[in-house]
Amino acid sequence: MNGITIKGLSKDYHLGKTVVRALKGVDLDIKSGSFACVAGPSGSGKTTLLNMIGLIDTPSGGSVRIAGEDIQTLSEQSRTRYRSRTLGFIFQSFNLLPVLDVFENIHLPLILHRELSREEKEGRVMELVRAVGLEEHIRHKPFELSGGQRQRVAIARALVTHPLIVLADEPTANLDSATGTEVLDLMERINAERGTTFIFSSHDPGIMKRAARVIRLHDGEVEAA
Amino acid sequence: MKERIQLCLRNLARHGWRTRIILLIALFGAFLTFVSENLLEDVSLKQSDMFGRSFAGHFRILNRNIETKNTFGFYHYEPEEMLEPDEIASVKQYLAGLPEVSGSQERIVFSGLLYGADDAEKGFQGIAMDMGAYNQELRDLYYAKGSEVQRGEAASCAASWAEYGKNKIVDVGQRYVFLLPNREGEFVDRFVTVKGGIDYRTMPRDVMGMGSMFFDLDGFRSLVGYSKPLASEVVGFLRDARTASKVLPRIDAWLKQSHPRLKVVSWREYAPIFAEIVLGFDVMMRAVEAILIAICVLLVIKLTTFSIIERYSEIGTMRALGFSRADIAFQFSLEGFLIIAAGTLAGFLLGSAVIGFFHVTGIRNSLTFFAWVIGNGFTPGFHEDKVVAVGLIFLAVAVLAPLLPALQGSRLSILKTLEKR
Repeated sequence: MNGITIKGLSKDYHLGKTVVRALKGVDLDIKSGSFACVAGPSGSGKTTLLNMIGLIDTPSGGSVRIAGEDIQTLSEQSRTRYRSRTLGFIFQSFNLLPVLDVFENIHLPLILHRELSREEKEGRVMELVRAVGLEEHIRHKPFELSGGQRQRVAIARALVTHPLIVLADEPTANLDSATGTEVLDLMERINAERGTTFIFSSHDPGIMKRAARVIRLHDGEVEAA
Repeated sequence: MKERIQLCLRNLARHGWRTRIILLIALFGAFLTFVSENLLEDVSLKQSDMFGRSFAGHFRILNRNIETKNTFGFYHYEPEEMLEPDEIASVKQYLAGLPEVSGSQERIVFSGLLYGADDAEKGFQGIAMDMGAYNQELRDLYYAKGSEVQRGEAASCAASWAEYGKNKIVDVGQRYVFLLPNREGEFVDRFVTVKGGIDYRTMPRDVMGMGSMFFDLDGFRSLVGYSKPLASEVVGFLRDARTASKVLPRIDAWLKQSHPRLKVVSWREYAPIFAEIVLGFDVMMRAVEAILIAICVLLVIKLTTFSIIERYSEIGTMRALGFSRADIAFQFSLEGFLIIAAGTLAGFLLGSAVIGFFHVTGIRNSLTFFAWVIGNGFTPGFHEDKVVAVGLIFLAVAVLAPLLPALQGSRLSILKTLEKR
């Protein structure tokens, strides 16, 4: 199976003597090419779940398999390679590098792809610049862009390495509703056109409606999937 | 690589004030180290040239039984402890074959009355000095039957040398004899304590304020009634005083084999204060350089750490995008390296300009105090080994100083760095 299989995933955070159980034995199957929303109130474990899938955090128990491979058992080097080749990230706060312009920000992950020629890299970047509608802003720095434009740059950056899975943690949280809808339209279009798996988190009912599948979390447990 | 350098340059431009500070620190440090190392080498060579022929760089070959420690060369010996003529000839011949030794002379160490009324009758022709280049306020030198020699009185002093030049004889006790004061600084007519026998033409005028000095060794031997041309010692002169520790053991080994009753003594033994002056100067300069480099390293570490703290979120983002710990460490190290390398290069260029300027003009000194160190001055130049050494030191600084904070930055947790906004 090319999708994601999560079994008994748990995460405990130790805050002094207090143990906070962020995830309590989550079991999930997410098919390849899904457009899935992880929904739930603040503190339900949405971000923690995405961090586990994205190899940003390590679980206290359980496993995450992507395309049949248990990613938690990978070495540090392999995890880094996995993030670079298989995963794409979209952050709530965009996380663009302020010193780089639109083109350079999208190009950034390709620095690690030495197998691609300069022309191939530029071709990929330009294709995505057009796809996210930022041709006129290609040399603009992040501070010269609106929130929606910044998030479109972040989406293009997440896609430029042709990942199998894009993880987006509340991608519309810092945007107004119209811009949020635009961003979601873009993600949906790319999901349909390229078959890239999108897993995004949100607590906005309007956003949840757009997802093909909604995974509801509550207090670290799957309420409905 | 080009992309990474581009990213570095953008980040360096972003941290403008910090970049400028690191650049200036590297520039200042490299400039001072470059200049001082090259100058220090010239000063050392100058000291070798000066002291090598007078104090620091010469050595003595004398009887093994004679105690010379802290005697400043005024040691006591018995007549039977003097070097025989065949020993003198053998030692001088051996020294002539050593490339590190620029020359040698036999001499008689004595302390006593000179210029007695009957000196000339006994065959001693006295001493004479070339004062043509005399331009220092050398207050311990007196002109016979006159007053202290003052600056600018070279012409009057030069008269003695001119007089000597006529028939190579100075009329003892007459107008052109120079006298030295005693330890209390009193002018004592006709009494002088000197080390005899040395041909002061080997001594540069920087040190003594005179061009050359003649001492009538044969005349002295005749005066004191030696039946053979004996000598207290043979003095050897090193081309470079710093080679003493290598050359002297070789000479001593040869003496043990060829002349067991003789030994070689370094100036460091009988005049340790001069060794301390030379060593102290070197240590002082090296300490200044070491402090500069340490400050440079610490500031670079501190400022790179600030950069990393400010860019926590970026580190997290880059790690999430697939950059490895090594990539992050390399990125921050490269930033530090580029800025220190640029500062070092600028420091080298500035240092080269300064050394080049002084190479043309020369460094002149008119201060009596510094005359002990650099004489009247010297002409600096570039020393390949020093340029390479300073280059390597700053290359190491450029590589190592940003490495520690860069490694620390690379080891941060992705989760924690992403949480920092």
